[in-house]
Amino acid sequence: MAKAALMEGSNADLAARDLLKSLLSSGKVRGVMTLVETGPAGEVNYELVADVAALENATPLYPLMPANAGGLLSRLTVLEGFEEPVAAFLRPCELRAFVELGKLHQVNAENILLISATCGGVYPLRASLNGGLADGLPAYWEAVANGEAAEGLRPTCSACEHFVPFGADLVLAAVGSGGAGRLAVVARTPRGDEALEGLEGAAGEAEVETAGVKSLREKRGAARAELFETEPLPAPGLEGLVAFFGRCVGCRSCRSVCPICCCEICYFDAAATEPTPRTFDVHLKRKEGTRVPPDTLLFHLGRLTHMSASCVGCGMCADACPVYVPVATLFAKVGAETQALFEYVPGKDPEEEVPLQRFEEEELAEVGEERFGS
Amino acid sequence: MSEEFRPDILGIFCRWCSYSAADLAGVSRMKMPPTTKVVRVMCSSRADPVFALGALLIGADGVLVAGCAPGDCHYKTGNYQTRRRYALVEKIFDTLGLDNRRLKLVWIPASEGAKVKRVVTAMTESLQEAGPNPTRAEMFI
Amino acid sequence: MKGINLKSDDANAAARGLLARGMEAGLWDAALVPARVPAGDSYAWLLLRDAAALERTTPLPPVMSVSGARALYKLARHGTARRVVAVLRPCEVRAAVELYKREQLPLDDIFLISMDCPGAVPLKDYVEDPEAGEELFGKMLAGVEEPGREICRSCDHFSHTASDLHLGTLGVPEGNVVVVPASAAGEAAAEKLGLGDAGPVAEWEAEVEKRNASRREAKEEAHRALREEAAGPERLAATLGRCIGCHGCRSVCPICFCRQCYFESEALKVPAANVFARAERKGAARLPADTFLFHLGRMAHISLSCVSCGACEDACPVQIPVAQLFGLVAANTQSLFDYEAGRDRAEAVPTTYYREEELAYLSEPYVEARAPEGVGADG
Ligand code: SF4
Ligand code: SF4
Ligand code: SF4
Ligand code: SF4
Ligand code: SF4
Ligand code: FES
Repeated sequence: MAKAALMEGSNADLAARDLLKSLLSSGKVRGVMTLVETGPAGEVNYELVADVAALENATPLYPLMPANAGGLLSRLTVLEGFEEPVAAFLRPCELRAFVELGKLHQVNAENILLISATCGGVYPLRASLNGGLADGLPAYWEAVANGEAAEGLRPTCSACEHFVPFGADLVLAAVGSGGAGRLAVVARTPRGDEALEGLEGAAGEAEVETAGVKSLREKRGAARAELFETEPLPAPGLEGLVAFFGRCVGCRSCRSVCPICCCEICYFDAAATEPTPRTFDVHLKRKEGTRVPPDTLLFHLGRLTHMSASCVGCGMCADACPVYVPVATLFAKVGAETQALFEYVPGKDPEEEVPLQRFEEEELAEVGEERFGS
Repeated sequence: MSEEFRPDILGIFCRWCSYSAADLAGVSRMKMPPTTKVVRVMCSSRADPVFALGALLIGADGVLVAGCAPGDCHYKTGNYQTRRRYALVEKIFDTLGLDNRRLKLVWIPASEGAKVKRVVTAMTESLQEAGPNPTRAEMFI
Repeated sequence: MKGINLKSDDANAAARGLLARGMEAGLWDAALVPARVPAGDSYAWLLLRDAAALERTTPLPPVMSVSGARALYKLARHGTARRVVAVLRPCEVRAAVELYKREQLPLDDIFLISMDCPGAVPLKDYVEDPEAGEELFGKMLAGVEEPGREICRSCDHFSHTASDLHLGTLGVPEGNVVVVPASAAGEAAAEKLGLGDAGPVAEWEAEVEKRNASRREAKEEAHRALREEAAGPERLAATLGRCIGCHGCRSVCPICFCRQCYFESEALKVPAANVFARAERKGAARLPADTFLFHLGRMAHISLSCVSCGACEDACPVQIPVAQLFGLVAANTQSLFDYEAGRDRAEAVPTTYYREEELAYLSEPYVEARAPEGVGADG
């Protein structure tokens, strides 16, 4: 059991909002980064809020991800961090992205109180258009409170095993909170302890690992195994990949919303990789025709090479794809394999370097051996 | 695949060891299949896997990356990094059902001209078995 | 205008035939044409060097997955090793012409063929249900269904354009296609292809004009409605409110060619304290911080060259009517300089020259009568 504040609230989102309000109004923080409802049809955006009144529409756990907040927070602080204490409410995968970005030197984390929650998952962005989510929200919160898997979530969320955050200062125990209307905010660090001190809500003790968390973890595990084995993933081999990415328009939105892909100029847009007359000539020497713009598969395979070991499976890429390529499912599956290779969990431990920045002398001995033939 | 198929292999060889070994093999007039065109790099760690992917996607039948043996890298740790990267790509290929015979990393010390011959021959044979790279004919790449 | 009447089943067959004949006659060595992708759920541009391979192409596909101008730019930005022919929609030709004028696309070795365009099917609808998309497009071609994409419904540049050869189908009796040479290169090609003598093509011209007139009305109406829905600071903010900042609209836009977009550059990165100060001033600051700057800035950068191709809107994951907004703004910025994007290769982009005697009103003191609706001298 850890120190916790017990918040009243008919669902986790309202409790989270109250928490942010009391943190801001008590002066413990001077600003709050959170999702805020910004439109009448359930539009939500991230905002940096400095005025308590503006938190009225805050909806920290709204089950939608208009951007990976870890990426946003990195972009916000990469030059210089906050000068005033600020609380940031991130979902577990957003937090993992933030930690991962820290390892890539893209973050100034000072003065940030990191708050997260056990996460029930989010819906695809497209499901939210034209107010599409509003009716389903009560059922969603009920599922979260009971440790059930809500229907219609992003495929990668239904299969997400890391919905309990690593290493936040405060964690709201949303999953499996039961229907009692009391939600526990658990302090995980001294900074978290300090934040809870003197806050409204009975001081007490609580666990993040509720029975609901355990049962949800099992369901997620089963869903994950199934997701990685079934359509719409590409059939093995080149043909499968060509079919999978055939409709890709090359907008690179999957990359630009990816929190991990933080390069100022992506290699695949750099002058070095720009096609020249020779590029096409080389293709046309071998075959009667070739695709323009070229290098659709190179981009996706290359991106997998660059970042799959750090992919947090947040699902942003699939949400951003205008032609509904299930990019996130593929990247999550490949990421699971490359991460297992290095026994690495992206965003788990800030001290652990990313796999491609380190090595062991004694490892992977078979790579580099003469292993020819099938 | 028939014996006549002569695969196109791109070699990316570290200049300190593997390229010297290839040189030695040439000077010693060792006979090996004329399948491999070698690009010289300063260290195997310069052989970004994305270069290899690029070559495979425009129709090379195989890419052979060669560097100094672990512990012998001229820059001390370059080839350990290379090893991680190629282990990663191998995993990606496995996961996607792409043919791992087409992308190989080997260590060839400078004195081992004979290993160049052995490796080039073995890779050539394994690619003859694998057949031409399907990317040669695929338009929608 | 004069054209040549060609017997042909449909525009696609006519285009394929011309491409193949031109290849055999040595007019060009490679053709840039769309073809359906293997999974059948979209179309992609292929560069083909083989006349037989043209069989699998669809010169006029139901969707504009990638703007042909952008494909051409990727292909030929640094010139081409072969003489290339490309078959484009009229808005794609116009975008290519804009890139040419902005010195991003040498068109010297490129032969452009355009076709009467019935509009395109929204890309998302197509990928979700390709067969329904094909069916809708068939009806659009037959003229019994309005274009699928909103932006196409108010397009008044759907016919001949600054290409070399144009293929007309509107108002032309079935089994015929009108070939209109539209440049010196086009005339030479028509002759080399032995297409026959050009004569008047009054039926086609009349139908184009008729349709154009109704489209101009539709455009006016669409602009009026959009102004009502999206003009003014609040309404604009609401329209752009769900933008996720993916910049997909920018990256698919044929006109936005910068390798490093200003709105993604270091220039826009600021210390956290800066955004915090904004939040203190207004109570809260939206993140990412520069959504509106991005869209307004892009309008400032490229609306003079916007051809209303709709690529941006097809690429938007949250269904923001980007192309319609840009079209509305473009109509105003272009008319300010009496300019029309892509109309004429010889016409300079307005920001590349100036006249001493122009835009005099800008030196006048602020006049309230000139202010846009809802903005007072003190606002
Ligand atoms: S991927 Fe996991 S942590 Fe991220 S939103 Fe989905 S369920 Fe939550
Ligand atoms: S794909 Fe690679 S180069 Fe491009 S942004 Fe991602 S990590 Fe950087
Ligand atoms: S977002 Fe979709 S269409 Fe765009 S580059 Fe990624 S996979 Fe291709
Ligand atoms: S702004 Fe949109 S409509 Fe205008 S040219 Fe660019 S992609 Fe086309
Ligand atoms: S494509 Fe849509 S969501 Fe993305 S930046 Fe443009 S308007 Fe915003
Ligand atoms: S110097 Fe040879 S592998 Fe590094």
